[in-house]
Amino acid sequence: MITARQLPEDAIRARAREGSAAIFPDVAGYGRSLFGADVDSGTDELDRARIVPPVFVPRRLEKMFDLAREPVYGDVGLSTVLGGFTAPSPVFLCAFGSTQVAGSGLGIAASEQAGRLGMPMVIGENVVPMHGYGRMGESAEDGLLGRIRAYADAVPDGLGGVVVQQSTEDADAEVWNLVYSDPSATKLLETGRLAFELKVGQGAKPGLGGMTVLSRTAAGEIAEQYTVDEAFGKEQAMVLRSSSPGTFTGEILRQQIHLMRNNYPRARAWVKLHPGRDVGEAARVAWAAGADAVTVDGAEGGTGWAPSVFLDQVGLPLVECLRRVGKHDASLLVSGRIWEGARALKCLAMGASAVGLGRAALLAVDEDAAEGLVRLVRCLELELRLLTSALGKYDLADLTPDDLWFPTWTEQNE
Amino acid sequence: MTGPSAAALPPGTREHLTSPVTQAALRIQNSITAGTREYLGMNGFVELQPPLIGPVTDPGCRGAKQVDVDYYGHKYKMMTSVILYKQASLLAFDKIFYVAPNVRLEPLETSTTGRHLVEFTQIDVEVARASREEVLDVAQGLLRHVVAHTLRESKVDLSTLGRDPEAFTALLEEDFERMTHREAVSRLQGLRHGQSADAEIDWQGERIISEQTNRPFFIVDYPKGSRGFTDGESSTEPGVLRNFDLIASDGFGELCSGGERTHEYRRLIERMRETGENPAKYAWYLDLAREGLPPSAGFGMGLERVTRYIAGLDAIWQANAYPKLPGIAAP
Repeated sequence: MITARQLPEDAIRARAREGSAAIFPDVAGYGRSLFGADVDSGTDELDRARIVPPVFVPRRLEKMFDLAREPVYGDVGLSTVLGGFTAPSPVFLCAFGSTQVAGSGLGIAASEQAGRLGMPMVIGENVVPMHGYGRMGESAEDGLLGRIRAYADAVPDGLGGVVVQQSTEDADAEVWNLVYSDPSATKLLETGRLAFELKVGQGAKPGLGGMTVLSRTAAGEIAEQYTVDEAFGKEQAMVLRSSSPGTFTGEILRQQIHLMRNNYPRARAWVKLHPGRDVGEAARVAWAAGADAVTVDGAEGGTGWAPSVFLDQVGLPLVECLRRVGKHDASLLVSGRIWEGARALKCLAMGASAVGLGRAALLAVDEDAAEGLVRLVRCLELELRLLTSALGKYDLADLTPDDLWFPTWTEQNE
Repeated sequence: MTGPSAAALPPGTREHLTSPVTQAALRIQNSITAGTREYLGMNGFVELQPPLIGPVTDPGCRGAKQVDVDYYGHKYKMMTSVILYKQASLLAFDKIFYVAPNVRLEPLETSTTGRHLVEFTQIDVEVARASREEVLDVAQGLLRHVVAHTLRESKVDLSTLGRDPEAFTALLEEDFERMTHREAVSRLQGLRHGQSADAEIDWQGERIISEQTNRPFFIVDYPKGSRGFTDGESSTEPGVLRNFDLIASDGFGELCSGGERTHEYRRLIERMRETGENPAKYAWYLDLAREGLPPSAGFGMGLERVTRYIAGLDAIWQANAYPKLPGIAAP
């Protein structure tokens, strides 16, 4: 047998053996695995950055004037307004899409805990096409309605909000119209706690639409609406279902946001962008058109199925997205392998208004369906307080890029 | 008559159908449809029968949901508007109209506006190669004719409802004012109503502005982003649509919407994307457009709204035998 040590021989041999199935993660893991980029894919400058407390802390002195005592980490205020919603901390629950992992009760458990936390929650764009809405004889369990109800029943007055995504092909399902006219959403709507998110893209597969793996029977039922591909081979029971990524220009994005504001005047308008090279320009177009929030999903993000080459090699890392969006006064929400306080604080220091929990939230509710997400968020909040106070600050709005040290930046700047 | 007030919800079917108010309103409505057919017939329009279901209807606007129908396994829609079919019908005749039923699952907050029904009828008019100004004249002429016809034919019913014929003197004698959307927004903002400059005039704004006049008027030039892809964009003023609404006087609000249509294939695709639509849904219509649809302009006038206005009713449900209000189950 020949060898080629300078090449990834195993991967090449797998492609030769399995054909197009080999360009995806092992299909046997679908429904049990959460995808997204590998920890060691080498793109993560954000994790390598260090949080650098200063010696001189004038803001601590200011805070001491307020309190008439030495401030401590418990004095850091975390409550914030993100995308028009009031939240107890700068954290929201990301959309999980329609992956089976988020079905089977985990989506409902996450919704209930997010509600209890008062944490804003995004519901993925193809929950309705894949799991149904939950009306007229459909099971509410795992459908859109089930998640909204679980959240709305648990959320304290005045906090949180539900964000419902829709993308190009979901326009057929009229998800937004359904929610906007549903009595279950009335309470959220009347209290200003409902938003619609125009999904332009996603971190795990920039430039592609949503993807899921389906049985042949299920795929037959939706073949009119989506592209279905025998990517894993004709002998496999599963096939690949792809959505269209949609077509956007600055004018198309601007007008779609105007139309959202016109058609749903009582709902907030959010926009989700993939980590594209023009992410800064796209965010500015969205804000100028009146979007209440822009969510940027870094290339590290994603729960759902994607070709390995996209997971490993496509899209800007979150840190670069933050640099390209730069300073702004509007609500910038980011996601991408967030699970603890340090990474969250680095995003906030780089200009984000809040961070989203995706895979980490699903793992937490999988670990403990009753309290897992609540505990995970409490840990993150405590770390945020400790880190912010270590920087001599007590208000998240005071965080700046100066609070961070990027090893590569310093070399470039010298 | 000082204009409509907030009205209660419809009573039961028997009480509603046996009420002298309902009966007078429905006889007035009968006079309005007869007057419509008379006017449009005299002016060379061909009346066609509208389709009820299709693979697509017009794009939903202002949060209204469409109704799905299982058509031999294909997902069809009940018509929320027959606009696409109106454009297609111009391949047969240059001037057409429908008296067309529509179904729109309007958002719940519209149940108390006094002028939204889930099932309603539109007088749908379309003219090949017409400009917006030409169909404004048709809309004004039609409303005037219908009012004159009804004042003549339904004297007793109007008197039963306490509607003073003097309310229509200005309508019958003076041309309807034409103001731009921008002017309407600034007038509302001047009245301390928080009207968005990028959006439709909201329900309350329409009522406020309607209360200030003694005859109907047109609002023209809505901004792109406030309307669906069928409304044509100005070639000289990007972002401005060549469309209009006809607003009644005395607080009765919008009666009619229309304008010049997008008809060129590439512009249709662009406008569909700007309004979040998936062109694949509109295959039959785009196939026609690719081979050529005539440029056109037209409008849809709400039959129950016109009835409410002419009869001076508090709420639109009084102008419908089996009224269905948003979110309220009824026969």
